[in-house]
Amino acid sequence: MPATFDEQRRSRVRIVDILLAILVTVGILAYILDVLALRWGLSTAYIGRSYPNYLKAAWISLYVTTIAYFIGMGIGFVLGWARSVRTLPLARVIAARRREAVAAADGGSPGAGLFLGTLLVYGIKYYVRRTADAYVAIIRGTPLFVQIVFVWSAVLVFYPRLDPLLQGLLAGVIALTANTGGYQSEIFRAGIQTVHSGQVEASRAIGLSRWGAMRYIVLPQAVRLVIPPLTNEYIGLLKASSLLAVVGSVPELTTFGRSEAFQTFHIFEAFALVVGIYLLITVPVSKVVEWIERRYRIPGLGIQASRTARV
Amino acid sequence: MAVGTILVILILQTVLRFNLLDEDLWKLYLPSFLDGIVLSLRYLGIILPLSVVIGFTIGWARISRFRTLSWPLSVFVDFFRGVPPIIVVIFAAVLGPSLLPARFQSQDIGIIIAALTLAMHSGAYQSEIFRAGFMSVPRGQLEAAQSLGMTNGAAMRFVVLPQALRLSIPPLANEFAVVIKDTSLLAIVGGFELFGSSFIFEQQILFSPGNQLSWIFVVWTAVALVYFVMTFAVTELLNAIDRRYHVKGLEAVTV
Amino acid sequence: MIRVEELEKHFGALHVLKGVSLEVQKGEVLVIIGPSGSGKSTLLRCINLLIEPDSGRVFLDGTQVNRRDIRPEWVRQQVGMVFQSFNLFAHLTALQNVTLGPIRVLGTDPTTAGAQGRKLLARVGLADKADAYPAQLSGGQQQRVAIARALAMNPKAMLFDEPTSALDPEYIREVLDAMAALARDGMTMIVVTHEMGFASEVAKRILFMDAGRIIEEGSPEEIFHSPKQERTRMFVGKILR
Repeated sequence: MPATFDEQRRSRVRIVDILLAILVTVGILAYILDVLALRWGLSTAYIGRSYPNYLKAAWISLYVTTIAYFIGMGIGFVLGWARSVRTLPLARVIAARRREAVAAADGGSPGAGLFLGTLLVYGIKYYVRRTADAYVAIIRGTPLFVQIVFVWSAVLVFYPRLDPLLQGLLAGVIALTANTGGYQSEIFRAGIQTVHSGQVEASRAIGLSRWGAMRYIVLPQAVRLVIPPLTNEYIGLLKASSLLAVVGSVPELTTFGRSEAFQTFHIFEAFALVVGIYLLITVPVSKVVEWIERRYRIPGLGIQASRTARV
Repeated sequence: MAVGTILVILILQTVLRFNLLDEDLWKLYLPSFLDGIVLSLRYLGIILPLSVVIGFTIGWARISRFRTLSWPLSVFVDFFRGVPPIIVVIFAAVLGPSLLPARFQSQDIGIIIAALTLAMHSGAYQSEIFRAGFMSVPRGQLEAAQSLGMTNGAAMRFVVLPQALRLSIPPLANEFAVVIKDTSLLAIVGGFELFGSSFIFEQQILFSPGNQLSWIFVVWTAVALVYFVMTFAVTELLNAIDRRYHVKGLEAVTV
Repeated sequence: MIRVEELEKHFGALHVLKGVSLEVQKGEVLVIIGPSGSGKSTLLRCINLLIEPDSGRVFLDGTQVNRRDIRPEWVRQQVGMVFQSFNLFAHLTALQNVTLGPIRVLGTDPTTAGAQGRKLLARVGLADKADAYPAQLSGGQQQRVAIARALAMNPKAMLFDEPTSALDPEYIREVLDAMAALARDGMTMIVVTHEMGFASEVAKRILFMDAGRIIEEGSPEEIFHSPKQERTRMFVGKILR
């Protein structure tokens, strides 16, 4: 709650508060780690000799994530664009086309061919749009686990004799790509729509064509809007890649940590290493993104920060 | 929405050559299917309310003036937001039971601990939602309440909280959908909710002769459909609640 | 009835109030004018203890109220405030806004509070808007509801912090009329405003404040037509164009 109390008193309390806060935080963390280490055993020797393997596994996580991320970006961008265009009601589209045709044909009445053509194009656009919407809705409405297993089953059925690692890799990359493509399309759509309203009218008023408006006005702004959520999405995808553990054949960080834990019985050490590496990557990046967002925020302009971690 | 979904399913059916309504399959699968759904719902019954309580409490605490309260909790939140849920689930299930005294040990205690961990995980995200909700209520509202002679507690209860909660509902709908999907993670530690029981059933299909491989796709499409319906229902329900209690002119500020 | 002595307030390095003293009698209307940043809003908020002064004394009916053993909430029940940005409770109807204070702070039973609330809304001319939400009301209507809300607590005095500054021109009149009616009914009022017409008609005394200090004090005629201080002259000259 915002305080409305005496300034002087506040500054004295503030210093005590900060010191106490640091003390309590560090204290609780140290206590927890101490208790857990005691209960479950902490072999620093194991950590010392094994951490390079964990780092290698982390690299694999990053590789898989990055490939899926950028292919997904292509999909997401196209879908986002497609979905950001408002679908006008059929009647208005026909009326608009009619007007254009009349102006072009110089007085002659537009034929039935034009009417049917418009209808066809509109119909196709409509169904393409609806399918794209459904695709994104399904990606967001179903667990990533299910998506991975679905693709994996398809891979197993169609390529049964492939090496398990390759099968897992193929399934993983396809599923992650499809998944991030869906989420990124939402990001792009929101970015384009946020800038779109009003800006296109203004730019056309100064003489730019629709494409010109897109290129010089909408897209540059949209790019700036879209970068923080896209960065968060990368982090989210990295965390999501952990779900490849269900496949088991891809030695990314979580799968590796799990198998190490159950094979060597250094369960807590494995856990600590895996968690530590994830935190080392995700927390600094998230903090930087948060800082950038706060610093460069234009009041009233921004995409609602929805959590991008999804499973 | 329905149009597109049906289109997608039809496309999948042709490409991958399966029939969603194959009777032979359903005779075998239906029991696992239904049991899985029931168990998923039961897990949700524990996890969802618990996560809201955790999230609200932490969100409230984090707007406190006292850093001693808010800093440790920030560490908690950052931890759960930075780590993939699956890893905490696995290790909570394996290591968690050893933290409890012997009389609590049972077959399922690991899974329950994992479920509690999921509640904490979602609670961390929800604390951010509630915190943003609190911070989005204009300061003038608090001033006005104080000028009427309300204590800070009364002002919180009658002016700030009602508005903060209303603001939190849309992002909460999204988060609930995520929780529903997260319950599938319990499968990896032995919880036989919808995903888990379907996975086991799928293994049986793969390894027994005479059963069609295309049944795998039927199973997973059905599973996906159920999750889809659940998330859709929850988000629609919360959106309806939001519409009913919506305060015009009040908007959430991104935090 | 309200008196402040030697109020000092710093916000970090900013010295906002530099030894301000004033006094208001019962039933008197005091208007404070001055450039923005002069500390007028801070001064007002020190009177009902929304802000705690660094030093100085605030008196209500002869009793010093900025003391550790007096609850600020008690003081704020005696002195009502109307804000520049209205600050109506967005999730409540007009009537609910007005009755919230009596019900939750004074402990009035809801039926009585409701009846009194309706009377107050009628008094500011909004009897038919009792069930409207703030978002459905114009700025002027919202501000009048805010006045009714403050009146519902039966305060001894009312503070107005630039009540019409955020209003579209066509709504200023109705709010000023409501305030003038209050003054006629004998309410003790301290009003920070730029509305010179209101000041000269309704105010008994005017205070000119600049950079944290009271520069000059006098009747409306004195301040507007024959200011003694140079700064007052400059400010009034700019305003009264």
